[in-house]
Amino acid sequence: MQHTHESINKALEEGLLTKVTKPTRYTGGEYNQVKKDWADIDVSMAFGFPDVYEVGMSHLGLRILYHLINEQPRMVMERVFAPWVDMEKEMRARQLPLFSLESRRPLTDFDVVGFTLQYEMSYTNILNMLDLAGIPLKSIERSDDAPLIMAGGPCAVNPEPLADFVDLVVLGEGEEVLPRILQRIAQFKQAGRWRTCAETRGREELLFALAQIPGVYVPAFYRSEYDEKGLFKGTIPNRSGVPARISKQIVADLDKAYFPTKSLVPFMDVVHDRVMLEVLRGCSRSCRFCQAGSIYRPVRERSMETLKKQADELVKTTGYDEIALTSLSTADYTCVEPLIQSLIATHQEQKVGVSLPSLRVDAFSVNLAKEVQKVRKTGLTFAPEAGTQRLRDVINKGVTEENLMETVESAFANGWTGLKLYFMIGLPTEKEEDLEGIAQLAERVVYRGTGILREKGIKKSVKVTVSTSSFVPKPQTPFQWEPQARIEELEEKQAYLKKRLKDRRINYNWHDAKVSFMEAVLAKGDRRIGDVLYRAWQKGCTFDGWSEYFHFDRWQEAFAESNIDPEYYAYRTIRYDEPLPWDHLDFGVQRQYLVREHKKALEESLTHDCRLDSCSGCGVCPTLGVSLDLRGEKHVPNSDRI
Amino acid sequence: MKSMYRIRIAFSKQDPVRWLSHLDTQKAFERALRRAEIPLAFSEGFNPHPKIAFASALAVGVVSLGEYADIELAEDMAPETVKEKLQQAMPEGFGVQAVKKVPQGTQALMAAVNRAQYRVRVPLAKEIEDGMVKAALAKSLAEEAWLVEREGKKGRSTKDIRGGIYQLTGHIVESHLVLEMVVQTGSEGNVRPEEVLEIVARTGSLPVHIERIRILRLGLFVAKGDRLMTPLEVI
Ligand code: SF4
Repeated sequence: MQHTHESINKALEEGLLTKVTKPTRYTGGEYNQVKKDWADIDVSMAFGFPDVYEVGMSHLGLRILYHLINEQPRMVMERVFAPWVDMEKEMRARQLPLFSLESRRPLTDFDVVGFTLQYEMSYTNILNMLDLAGIPLKSIERSDDAPLIMAGGPCAVNPEPLADFVDLVVLGEGEEVLPRILQRIAQFKQAGRWRTCAETRGREELLFALAQIPGVYVPAFYRSEYDEKGLFKGTIPNRSGVPARISKQIVADLDKAYFPTKSLVPFMDVVHDRVMLEVLRGCSRSCRFCQAGSIYRPVRERSMETLKKQADELVKTTGYDEIALTSLSTADYTCVEPLIQSLIATHQEQKVGVSLPSLRVDAFSVNLAKEVQKVRKTGLTFAPEAGTQRLRDVINKGVTEENLMETVESAFANGWTGLKLYFMIGLPTEKEEDLEGIAQLAERVVYRGTGILREKGIKKSVKVTVSTSSFVPKPQTPFQWEPQARIEELEEKQAYLKKRLKDRRINYNWHDAKVSFMEAVLAKGDRRIGDVLYRAWQKGCTFDGWSEYFHFDRWQEAFAESNIDPEYYAYRTIRYDEPLPWDHLDFGVQRQYLVREHKKALEESLTHDCRLDSCSGCGVCPTLGVSLDLRGEKHVPNSDRI
Repeated sequence: MKSMYRIRIAFSKQDPVRWLSHLDTQKAFERALRRAEIPLAFSEGFNPHPKIAFASALAVGVVSLGEYADIELAEDMAPETVKEKLQQAMPEGFGVQAVKKVPQGTQALMAAVNRAQYRVRVPLAKEIEDGMVKAALAKSLAEEAWLVEREGKKGRSTKDIRGGIYQLTGHIVESHLVLEMVVQTGSEGNVRPEEVLEIVARTGSLPVHIERIRILRLGLFVAKGDRLMTPLEVI
């Protein structure tokens, strides 16, 4: 049966929604939702988030692009999330296609379905969503009646495992590129060249036209080559007229960049349920494992005036009682203290609090936390990342044990009784003493905390949570050439820590090493991984990022059937002169810089933050024609340094 | 002492917000009141909360034409102004029907409300006569006990809900069985309309697609003797 928004609506309201948990995942209707009359639009896009509603709605990028596109008079953007397993079952039983939240239209009604790639382990959900929508999974199987399938977001740094499934990939920040893409599509439709009647054969031509827009990558116009031993040899255009390398696009002036003054207000609890103020973009602390640190460069800040105005408007239009200052590292914002003070002063009366949700509070100043605490208590997380100074130098984590202990002491002195410590295991050059260092550091924090609480006469016992994730080598980082530690090795390290962290005041948790292995394979994979993804999905893999739905055995079967050795991707030391599957995608950071950083890592030598000192020559600013943009008074503009 | 101003709001909850849980509804109200810039009174303490009290929780998926909430204000505001501002700030599907000032010393909303009126509608599996419905109602109402199984915090329990049925009528409309009822709600116990339907259908062997039930709450009331008064009428 051909479904329309009426029939989907009927199915939902008459029975379906009573059968599923959390029906508001699918109902839409949130305050500030935009519902447009489809008679008045030229081009439509569904923003697909390949995870469940409450995860997707916490994503700032969705909120920005949603209002940006919907403010364009003849464009519409609606939302779609991965239906939770119970909903999927009900939908399949009724042959109900995947639909958008706003108009409840089947996805096939849209011109574009764009997926954000936030996490490698959500790739199978993309395949599953396409299948639920009745859209052919492979790009090559789609004709003009299927929407264009787009991808973007951080994992687009290496979208090659998805090359068979997506029609186009947007590299970099979408604010400027996305309206241009949709505009071009609208022009094609108006000219009667695509999707206007059943006869059009415009898909390829349209993709070719879109490939002319800087930042747009159409995988089908490129071919990957391998040698007779199966080693990757490079990805090159298979036709003329497309660039050999595609450059990411970024917003040069964040202060002038679009930021919505409205924001959707979900009904159910979502992960980040508050006003999200983006104070800055990028991070140049240069932690050598960190992909975000590479791909969002350079650091660009918003001015205090703009942020205060945005906060005022957003509080008014959402009714939220909390303003979160978000970014990769909010404590680094050059105006963070005056901003927090000003926001608190303005909004205290209405009992609106300010929070710092960013996980890595290294440059944490106790003053900040104290300020924030005036209105609401938030949990504190510190990320020393490694257990010894030597290893912290290898990864360029510029924190010393003294720094950490000082911060921890003032946290306890200021009334916190618990905190979280976040580490990574399996880092390059890691030895047993580095693991031992994690345990000792945790113990020192506990002892110090207990001492301080006792001095203050507080009866409560200290609670320290130690979390370890496993190192995953990621494209565009100085560690992209490094092998990952083997699963067994990682599990031994976890077992060691489990044994060492027996103190009842310490709570230890860790990430599944098998998931980390899969992350490495998908992050560094080439186009051949597409077949594995397809088979894994066929075997029922979805929601792989949710431990209860992660089935490593199915993935192993899929690798075997595709004749792919996953260890080739995860465990191999890559030589500097080997071609990499993401070489044709230019994120601005130069290879020589990454090589230099990698060598420095092995020498345990530090690289400073280019915000605080001179340019460290990563290449982003000259390549992209932008510069560091800081707003604090103490900072001189960086442009004269490059 | 700060003087407090309490207002009572009558509202409806329809598509799509009928899918909101009680907690979601509370949050939606809190945020709408903030957007409407209605001067809320907050609780003391580390986590100040606005003081909003709902008459009764509404099950997820149920449409209601008569819900009530009491809200404490930090400053006086004309009920008409509250009504207008709030309606504009509410998500689609909530209707602000009336707002009235609550005098000092009025009994708390939740304690006062003790009756709920429902209409349930369920498709018939095969056509039947109205007479069969009348017979089913008569037979069920003649029974002394209506035992239902409830899943509670302390595990399963059996409850007799017969005493909580105050009015019950039924008829056939367009191949649907429609029951209308006034039942007990509030602190003395809740009768669930789906339980009533189940008992009537079972006792009278009425062929219905029980899983496709639609429930409509027509209103909440305060029983005063034989009279049912709305929570706005009692103030
Ligand atoms: S080019 Fe220099 S200033 Fe710009 S981000 Fe890279 S290191 Fe920093």
